Amino acid sequence: MLDAYAGKSIEDILGGLTASFAFNEGDMGSQMQLGGLGNSYILILVDGKRLHGDNGGENDLGLIDPHNIEKIEIVKGAQSALYGSDAIAGVVNIITKKHDKEGVMLENTTRLGSYGDVRQHNGVALSWGKWTSYTNFQTQHSDGWQNTAEEWTEAMVVNDSRNKTVNRFTNWQISERITFTPTKDLSLYAEGWYYNKIINRPQNGNHPSCDVYTYDLLYNNASAAAGGKWNLKGGDYISLDVDWNKHAYFYKYTARTYEDAYVDGALEHGVPFYKGQKRLQADQQRTMGQLKGVFHLPMENILNVGAEYRYDYLKAPMRTKGGEGRDWTAAVYAQDEWNMLEWLNITAGVRLIENDAFGFRATPKVSAMLSLGDFRVRAGWSQGFKTPTPKELNYQYLRHMGSSTFYYMGNSDLKPQTSNYWSAGVEYRNSKFTASVTGYINRLEKMIALVNVPVSEIPVGMTEFVGDGSMAIIPRMYKNTDNAKTMGVDVNVAYQLTNELSIGGNYSYLDTDARVYNETHNRMDKVIIDGTAYNKWNAYLTWNHRFTPIYKFGAGLYTRGSSKRFYQNNHDGKGFQIWRISTTHDFAKTGKKLSYKAELGVDNIFNYMDKTMHPYHLGTTSAGTTVYGSLSIKFNSGKNIKANNSKLNKQNSKNQDYEED
Amino acid sequence: MKKIKFMLIAMMAIMAGAMSFTSCSSDDDDKAKQNIISEYQLNDEAVAQQKAKSGKDKAILLVAFGSTWNNSFLAFDATKAAYEKAFPAYDVFVSFSSDICINRAHEGENVDENGNIVSRDYYEPRYLLHAIGAAKYSEICVQSLQVIPGEEFANVVASVKKFGNNGYVANAHLDDDYLSKVKIRLGMPLLNNPDTDVPEVAKQLDILYGNEATKGAVLFMGHGNPDTYDTFKANVRYTQLEEELQKYSKNYFVGTVDMPDNYKQDVFARMQDNNIKSGNVYLHALMSIAGDHAHNDMAGEGDEYWDDEEEESEDNSWFEFFNHKGYKASAPVKNNHPLGLLELEGIREVWIKHTKNAETLEEAYHSMYPEE
Repeated sequence: MLDAYAGKSIEDILGGLTASFAFNEGDMGSQMQLGGLGNSYILILVDGKRLHGDNGGENDLGLIDPHNIEKIEIVKGAQSALYGSDAIAGVVNIITKKHDKEGVMLENTTRLGSYGDVRQHNGVALSWGKWTSYTNFQTQHSDGWQNTAEEWTEAMVVNDSRNKTVNRFTNWQISERITFTPTKDLSLYAEGWYYNKIINRPQNGNHPSCDVYTYDLLYNNASAAAGGKWNLKGGDYISLDVDWNKHAYFYKYTARTYEDAYVDGALEHGVPFYKGQKRLQADQQRTMGQLKGVFHLPMENILNVGAEYRYDYLKAPMRTKGGEGRDWTAAVYAQDEWNMLEWLNITAGVRLIENDAFGFRATPKVSAMLSLGDFRVRAGWSQGFKTPTPKELNYQYLRHMGSSTFYYMGNSDLKPQTSNYWSAGVEYRNSKFTASVTGYINRLEKMIALVNVPVSEIPVGMTEFVGDGSMAIIPRMYKNTDNAKTMGVDVNVAYQLTNELSIGGNYSYLDTDARVYNETHNRMDKVIIDGTAYNKWNAYLTWNHRFTPIYKFGAGLYTRGSSKRFYQNNHDGKGFQIWRISTTHDFAKTGKKLSYKAELGVDNIFNYMDKTMHPYHLGTTSAGTTVYGSLSIKFNSGKNIKANNSKLNKQNSKNQDYEED
Repeated sequence: MKKIKFMLIAMMAIMAGAMSFTSCSSDDDDKAKQNIISEYQLNDEAVAQQKAKSGKDKAILLVAFGSTWNNSFLAFDATKAAYEKAFPAYDVFVSFSSDICINRAHEGENVDENGNIVSRDYYEPRYLLHAIGAAKYSEICVQSLQVIPGEEFANVVASVKKFGNNGYVANAHLDDDYLSKVKIRLGMPLLNNPDTDVPEVAKQLDILYGNEATKGAVLFMGHGNPDTYDTFKANVRYTQLEEELQKYSKNYFVGTVDMPDNYKQDVFARMQDNNIKSGNVYLHALMSIAGDHAHNDMAGEGDEYWDDEEEESEDNSWFEFFNHKGYKASAPVKNNHPLGLLELEGIREVWIKHTKNAETLEEAYHSMYPEE
């Protein structure tokens, strides 16, 4: 499925193949949502390790090479017992391809598409004796596009805005992983990557109030990790991982720009920064240590136990009070999966957390699965817990978006947010047909959201800083909202009509109810969780056929859509439906060292474009009809060596709601 | 076991190496200092050239908050020209105190006859003051283009004081000997004196809008010091101006966007008290130029500017508010834009008079901070 879809990015793949995710790709990240909750509630794991991004929430999914993915596992709902703080909405586990064949493997995929879209993946795998090395280089680029030149600014609609719907960007990443297997029970690894992304914004507009920018956005991400795994008897193992990550964000000036800056420790206004100079906005570093064990116990029990330590550091000289923030969390957890009877599986777990600022907390989880013939019935309850991030506590800065100016404020009075997630579902599965219906309620207490607040919340003495002459400022502050609730129903259907023909679809219904105390009017106001929609859906029809021993053809028709998306500011986004046709062409002969694969397709075949004027929200940022083609060449000199842990990877799959491979 | 120990040490070494490689220390602070110095040099050269060209020995620096609106740029141009006419012995410079306005003006909103963008360069008072000092003009008059002597004016005073004290970053100090001799004067905001300025401005406004006052209510929208910190207690000027205007006609009102108890709903309440419950309402900006506030908060028209559930919301424009309250509101425009006070000749003359009567910095400063 993943292969047939020929996605250009993780956003494209998750948005196209599931109905549960929503995206709103922008400069600040992909604005991913699952079950109505944003990226900060979604834990993204790459081979079991937390993807590090902006600790305020947004992950840069460009860090994951879409051409090096083996499979994607999606577990919806709170998974805090196993994974801790961020897994309140769910977990996306991306499993990369493992290149463990003896010898040399070289591969290149180049994908070209409309609007200067270039995606390239290069992999070099070497394996000799007890050592393996895998080097991956990827780059992604788009020229960006503009769905409309209309913009609401300067109290009128201008027709010559240069603002793009999606800005031009380029990123590249080089990563390396070395493994060493000194004995058959012990494997060690060291890995790391370096990543760079630049987003170019319009500079040559005619309206300084909306489409003239004096700096581009530059991101820098690096990681280093090392660890090992000790395989014990009977599939048991112990693993230790230590990793360090950095995500830094800079302005890269394209014209002289006056800003505030600290000079000899004092805040100065009107400090110029010149073309070509870059300036740090935020540098977020995380260091983690994880010790984990999986043990098969008597009476069909599988026990997961672990300990975790995490240290976050935020450096943001101009965006925080005091210029920096830090936070640590330590946790121990245990989760037991008990196959009590042939038809009954019970999972129970608890995580004990100690946080720097907010003290001790325990989050439990219980779930059960009943297997009755072709039916499985699941029910679960789990708690989630999330402490305010250094950003939510400390941020304080001004941001211009189009003709609007926002003043963002952190809030040192924030309390940790907690969640209770209940779900119940039934699944039918036989050899050809799968269908499932799952309902859930995720009740968040003290949910942290960025909401509009009265101007009086801007601290005394800051008006000079934000300017108060001709700028209309919308103050927004991180607040604990009360009684936030998301509830929904997910339906998945898949039918294998013949060996070559499949059809399926997903539907997701979502409702949200969040409230915040309005201090001006002494009442509880309902607030919209930005970007949510009641209905989202997708469907596919795929066919593949081997025409000759060396040529296999595949074709797929895909559609996805969403009803209206709601926002607190700048209007709602329109509902949409988009169709895509994709073909794949595999040329490979068994025993040959070289293989080729081509993909050709048309996305958004009916040329749907949301032409809502800037800066209002769009339902989809799709550019209308686009075409793409890609060619992969793979050279493999080696033979398979034993893949010694393929079985273990499945040990947690019993409670997964969804798996895409 | 030895092997494992070796591997663990190797792992740590790799991690430490990676961390030191990527966590390069930021030298933004030094860069900022260096940039400030080069910005001084840039302004110093430009002003020195101007002085050489004009041969004049005195300078006037006009200080406005700034704007990104083209109609405002034209208003500043006209003001500069009026000053050059009124003060032939002086070089006249215009500065913005808002960084955002400077940045956006630099990128250019004006298009010449070939459709090319014309960049507008404005500078902060600190850079121009430094350059004027470096060029050793014998007299410097800094004129505030603010309406009330409030928070923004306090910033103007602070920057002049910093200049007088030679309070610039190292390497950018001016000649102490020159500074001890130069005559620095400070021109006060439009409504500085309640006994002379307020009646004069009221008189000028009535000359311009007296005709409207016979046909309906005439509402002026000022800015005001925000909520809790009424710098120099300057907000009272709006009330004084309304009282003065009402001597001409009971149809005049003065409200603000930021002064507590003098928002649009408070103006509405006073109109109700005066028994003005329907009819025409004319909206005018009581700000030096017509920028975002005049176009959006005052004259904004359409759904964008109206929220039924929260009538008094600051996002609701005066235009929509008074139309929804049963009046026939309009915001008169000239060349498609509302006018700012600098565009009204009689009012501009009040500012020019302030420049002529400008006190020395010391006198001005002590009149504002008597305790110091």
